[in-house]
Amino acid sequence: MTAEQIVNSGQWVFLAYFVGINTGYLLQNIVAAHGIRKYLQTADQFEAESVFSALDIPISLVIPAYNESASIVTSVKAMLQLEYPAFELVVVNDGSTDNTLEKLIEEFGMRRFPEAYRARVPCAAVRGVYRSMHFSNLRVVDKENGGSKADASNAGINACRYPLVCVVDADSILQPDSLRRVVRPFLEDPTTVAVGGTVRIANGCTVRRGFLEKIGLPTSFLPLVQVVEYLRAFLFGRMGWSPINALLIISGAFGVFHKETLVEVGGYNPQAVGEDMELVLRMHRLMKEKRRPYRITFVPDPVCWTDAPASLYDLKGQRVRWQHGLGQALFLNRSLMFNPRGGTVSWVSIPFYLVFELMGPVIEVAGYLFILTCAIMGWLAWPESLLFLALAIGLGVLLSTSAIMLEELSFHMYPRTRDLMLLYFIAIIENFGFRQLTAIWRLQGLFRWLRGGKHEWQTISRSANLADES
Amino acid sequence: MLEWLFRSDFDGVTTAAIWSIAAVFVTTITLFVYTLGLRWVTIVGARRRTQFVAHWRGVFAAATLSEEDASSIALPHFGRKQRSDLLEEWNRARAAVDGAAAENLIFLGERLALPAITTDMLGSRRLKSRILAIQTLGNLRDLPSQPAIRELVTHDNTALSITAAIALVQICPDQAVQLLIPMIEKRSDWPRNRVSIFLHIAGSERISEPMYRAIRSADNQGKSLLLKFACQVETNVLDALVEDLIRESNDAGVLNAALKLVSGHSDVPRIAALIRHKTWFVRVQAARVLGRVGQPEHLALLESMLHDDEWWVRYRAAQAIASLPFLGPNKLRQLQNRQSDPFAADILQQAYAEVGLA
Repeated sequence: MTAEQIVNSGQWVFLAYFVGINTGYLLQNIVAAHGIRKYLQTADQFEAESVFSALDIPISLVIPAYNESASIVTSVKAMLQLEYPAFELVVVNDGSTDNTLEKLIEEFGMRRFPEAYRARVPCAAVRGVYRSMHFSNLRVVDKENGGSKADASNAGINACRYPLVCVVDADSILQPDSLRRVVRPFLEDPTTVAVGGTVRIANGCTVRRGFLEKIGLPTSFLPLVQVVEYLRAFLFGRMGWSPINALLIISGAFGVFHKETLVEVGGYNPQAVGEDMELVLRMHRLMKEKRRPYRITFVPDPVCWTDAPASLYDLKGQRVRWQHGLGQALFLNRSLMFNPRGGTVSWVSIPFYLVFELMGPVIEVAGYLFILTCAIMGWLAWPESLLFLALAIGLGVLLSTSAIMLEELSFHMYPRTRDLMLLYFIAIIENFGFRQLTAIWRLQGLFRWLRGGKHEWQTISRSANLADES
Repeated sequence: MLEWLFRSDFDGVTTAAIWSIAAVFVTTITLFVYTLGLRWVTIVGARRRTQFVAHWRGVFAAATLSEEDASSIALPHFGRKQRSDLLEEWNRARAAVDGAAAENLIFLGERLALPAITTDMLGSRRLKSRILAIQTLGNLRDLPSQPAIRELVTHDNTALSITAAIALVQICPDQAVQLLIPMIEKRSDWPRNRVSIFLHIAGSERISEPMYRAIRSADNQGKSLLLKFACQVETNVLDALVEDLIRESNDAGVLNAALKLVSGHSDVPRIAALIRHKTWFVRVQAARVLGRVGQPEHLALLESMLHDDEWWVRYRAAQAIASLPFLGPNKLRQLQNRQSDPFAADILQQAYAEVGLA
């Protein structure tokens, strides 16, 4: 094979890959747009009649906390004020080395309680259960450090009493009506076993007493780029899979599960790096093995706001972990792949995730290197090389543009036109450097998974949003 | 670069790349312009809507506060595009009031020709418009639209059919309950809170008898489903129904639903016998009821439930024991001390602590 033939074949491969991945995303966009439109048509009516909530299903909120003393009191106070007729809070202190537990005891009048705790899903030893003297629906499970959020979540699931379990990050800021919105699929379809909601970036927003007071865009570059990324990931990344019951991820920051199904599948896997995705994949697998009808759904409403990493160090850690978790989750549930009984999960979404999400950074980085090498070696004219780079960038901009359009069509969370223009600006410039950097981090994550890296609690530097007010 | 771009001797892959990039560029620009257009329409629309709504709110407030009929209220003009906003506002105002104020709003709605407008909208292709039209006709209690609404009750679309069901109850409650109550068990897609709404609107007096008949004639699955709404039935009918079902049925779903509705002194010996039922959630409900209506002779039964395999059965039995009115603190302590099974002792300790904390 001559150098010219190699270059030509390489060009075709990379062109086909880029066109393939972006066609996939555009199809998701179309499905998402249809799904959001359908959802919004009846959302108003549902909201208007929500006063008749006697039949709403009670929910247990599980809040795993590890060294969260800076913000735990504000978070719990905010969650106690959620608009929902019947819910309980189960805070899990995962062997924190700071004074998380002491703060909870002091602020909420927690008292050690002889609860007949039953370990239905595995987790590290529980040291004790506390009940609040001020709030009858607040308990704290104090346990040995299990080394992961999954382990802490499992302890919380064991202590839950209600039929639905909502696992929430301790630093999540919930919309006051978030529970009412995410419970809707459970009311409409009794086969629903899990529901995820849209998570948005809280950096730049004004938060008061744990609630969002004013929505705004962050002022620094990294969180700003992540606003656009989250729009892409949630508005069409998740909404595109949900209508065909092929959703593979429910964000760990906010997800609601049918408790008995959650227990039946064994709860979260403490060894999993991406425990949220691994759980959803396992639910798909076990439901299909048991041939039970089920739905795993996504509601496009923005229900949860979370702090995005603002430093390169934190962001790198997050992206490496996500890619590692993706590889591990797909591998652990590999029997789902091309399973004759697997439906759209086995035949559409898992192959898509494998080829385009897991292997994506390999192809992307290889593509950049290939084009550069060809140009430097003179195998490809510089204008041609730039043309291929422009195509990659153009497709990236197109996807972000369509995500911004979906946001404008639906929730319209950033009402200032200046914000809209800023999002467009970011959608363009993220392709010059940031996108390439994340591809390299994701590649590192892939290698870390292949080398068998370990999982541990990940903490990011937090903005002042949720810090307890003195 | 430009010179290079307008060459005509490109190979296949470069040509494909050029066309792809052209398509991407055009699509991106189109989406960008469309989004900006949307933003502009939203801003202008919101401004106009705010003015429109403020104006009409005043009109509707005047109608609800008027001591006479609303015939003297001057009605501003509204355009075709403002129909939805007007209907939404009218429905909002109508849902907030009752009695004479509601009658005034209905009269005002008729003056505004809302029945004609909404009947026209029933045939719209937009689901949201159709739902809004059905809601309005229901709030107007528009009798002529009854056949059309009745037809929509059987529509495949859940939102349309349940909205039509609610509207039908508003228009002709007596006929509606006869039609709708037997449909509840067949329409498993109807959200329960919406079903609860139309039963609530119809009122317990009106729904008691058809509900009783529907439950008696339904299969076990239907019985379990219908019993979830039976709390809205009149108390005397409900008590008799629950007692019959507990005595006659052995189906776990039916027993579970019926036991949840036990309010007074039902058939206690039968309930006591259910603590041996093979399904754990029936045992849970039986323990709960015995805690409320149990007699001293049931203590041993409840105590035996503390050894059940199922945590919830042990928990409810422990709660039931702790709430028995004839057991004082000393007897409760003695009962705990004689438990050799650690599961029984633990769950009793929890139940006692809960009572102590309450």
